[in-house]
Amino acid sequence: MEKEPTQEYIQVKIDTPRPYRWSTGKYLGKLYKEARDRKKLVTNRCTKCKELVYPPQMVCGRCKVEAGQDWVEMSDKGTVVQYTYLIFPRWDPHRGEYYSSPYPSATVLLDSGLYLRSRLEEQDTKKLKRGMRVQAVWKEKGRGRGQDDIEYFRTIEELEVGK
Amino acid sequence: MTKKLEELEAFVVEGKVAIPATYSAGTVGSRFLIEMRDNKRIMGMRCSKCGIVYVPPRSTCESCFDKLDEWVEVSDTGTILTYTVACQPSPVLPAEPPVIYGIIRLDGAGTGFVHMLGEVKSEELRVGMRVKAVFKEERTASVLDIKYFRPLK
Amino acid sequence: MANRVAIVGIGQTFHKSKRPDVNQAEMANEAVRAALTDAQLGSKDIEAVVSSNMEPFEGVYLPDHWMASEMAACGKSGFKVATGGTSGASAVVEAFHLIASGLASTSLVVGFQKHDTGDTQAGMTACMTPVFGSGATTGAISEFANQALVYMEKSGAKEEHAAMVRLKADRGACRNPYAQLKLGLKGVEEILSSGYLEWPIRILDFCPQTCGACALVLASEEIAGKITRKPVWIADTITVHQEPFRAGSFGDPTGLETYSQDVASTKLYKRNGITNPRKDIDMAEIYEPSTWEEMMHYEHYHFCDENEGWKLIEKGITAIEGEFPVNPSGGVLSTNPIGATPVIRVAEAALQIRGDAGEHQVTRDVKTAVATALGGCNWTTMILLRRSL
Repeated sequence: MEKEPTQEYIQVKIDTPRPYRWSTGKYLGKLYKEARDRKKLVTNRCTKCKELVYPPQMVCGRCKVEAGQDWVEMSDKGTVVQYTYLIFPRWDPHRGEYYSSPYPSATVLLDSGLYLRSRLEEQDTKKLKRGMRVQAVWKEKGRGRGQDDIEYFRTIEELEVGK
Repeated sequence: MTKKLEELEAFVVEGKVAIPATYSAGTVGSRFLIEMRDNKRIMGMRCSKCGIVYVPPRSTCESCFDKLDEWVEVSDTGTILTYTVACQPSPVLPAEPPVIYGIIRLDGAGTGFVHMLGEVKSEELRVGMRVKAVFKEERTASVLDIKYFRPLK
Repeated sequence: MANRVAIVGIGQTFHKSKRPDVNQAEMANEAVRAALTDAQLGSKDIEAVVSSNMEPFEGVYLPDHWMASEMAACGKSGFKVATGGTSGASAVVEAFHLIASGLASTSLVVGFQKHDTGDTQAGMTACMTPVFGSGATTGAISEFANQALVYMEKSGAKEEHAAMVRLKADRGACRNPYAQLKLGLKGVEEILSSGYLEWPIRILDFCPQTCGACALVLASEEIAGKITRKPVWIADTITVHQEPFRAGSFGDPTGLETYSQDVASTKLYKRNGITNPRKDIDMAEIYEPSTWEEMMHYEHYHFCDENEGWKLIEKGITAIEGEFPVNPSGGVLSTNPIGATPVIRVAEAALQIRGDAGEHQVTRDVKTAVATALGGCNWTTMILLRRSL
């Protein structure tokens, strides 16, 4: 039985990008098209329970029936429900580079009643707070990526009704 | 606004995913690769219970589940069990097509070893042909430290 | 009429952040050998092997195929299960089904993950977008960061409480020879002066990435009776899904709707006669990816009322010597090889029932324990274990 030599561990690094072609189907396809062409967010409302289904899809998860074709255009304004920001840079596998800090992102409750997760424009993390009002700012040229065609949400000052 | 399903357009989103990965060869795998890099030797692992010599070596016997630690050197010469030719280009091919590769049973080994065949035309190949490893001058502890296997004259 | 199923063998690797000395197969093999030795069985005695691994986090696909030898799976039935964070628990459930149904009399569960190979957060981000939008998701951490913020504001929990959770986990890990992160933290101040990872989660509030494996041998009542005096019975299991992407992939962002954990625990407790969880169950090993999640899970699993989770940690109720110990092993906060983690939860709960947990054995006598798992899209799996049925 031979004795093993001193330990050198061989490691192999691989980072070849893998191309993909992902089919959205027709429901998500409509979201993507409206976002790219008209800079609007649309989704379908379940014909049975009347709740908005987001992202738009064929089956309503709650009712377990076909959701149907009742399309609704959503408001682009909302309220920040929760937010966070990065301390360390994180790797974005889709761009093949790091997200830089602080990269604030938030869950926004759109006035239409749906939650959406997106970037925030505000880079000063001290100004971020729950409940602040924001509005979507679309990319100049949409890439047909649906919600991803929103660049970020901008903080808006809104006049309170009655004042 | 309602629409019929047929009138909707489906999208195909094209993109790339790049997730960097670092694979560990492990202790057994590392020794196999290092012996090829440093000594141009091909090592196998023998199960003393079953007598099978695994090339490339592994740490557990497939048959009896014993832990293996008996290293043996196998020959750099062997017999072709089967072969094929990859004709279409692909990002995963180690060389430009046409790439001939085969499963070779090295003398002393109990398993087949997959590698490329070179210095030969595909029409000349035969199952049972004797072949010998050609090592590269510059080796990096990779299975491609063997350039290919060429027929014995 | 279902057969009774017991855990008769437990094995795990010494979990580390890097294992360059082994490949995936060899690492899983260490846990398999440990479990077979514990059960005093050979590989030939195992009829089915169910493995658990999340491929995108390592970039090694179909590991169950090329690792068949090392998992004692050659010529056996069984397959790999990949259900996100709950993979290991799903594998235990599947192995349990095989014996409960009478299709097998012994089975082996192998959970493994070698995180030093890939980039886990990138793996999660890659599979969540393009539905979410690549601008928002930075993996699971941002989800948990969002939830932590809401919990802080809603329940009155403070960062000190999150630090107390880490302290409890570290004390357990330092007594657990298999745990990865043994930090030897002295107090809450040390943690509060450490840095943030993704606000408001500190680096110390979050679980590590681990290379590790855990294996369990399951057997039918007939076989269990012949080979061990300390079988741990799987009394019940439950898996609940949640509507995906409704608001993030780990639950409702406001923390108001808990859905899958709530449904799972309510049903499990009802069908097992559990009316007061902290009394009727003796300890829990839960899947807590962050310190804030642990406090929230106390509430979601009905160990306490809403908004009271942080009080349990403050009063020491869930410590090793406490009235209702949770994660005395150090939990996920100390060791997290994703494919193996839920199997480790079941293994640690089983060790407590057997009285074999060594230095991290809890003070309370454990006759009943619950192990939980959490996965993407807020799946929940719960497994109830008992010393006798």
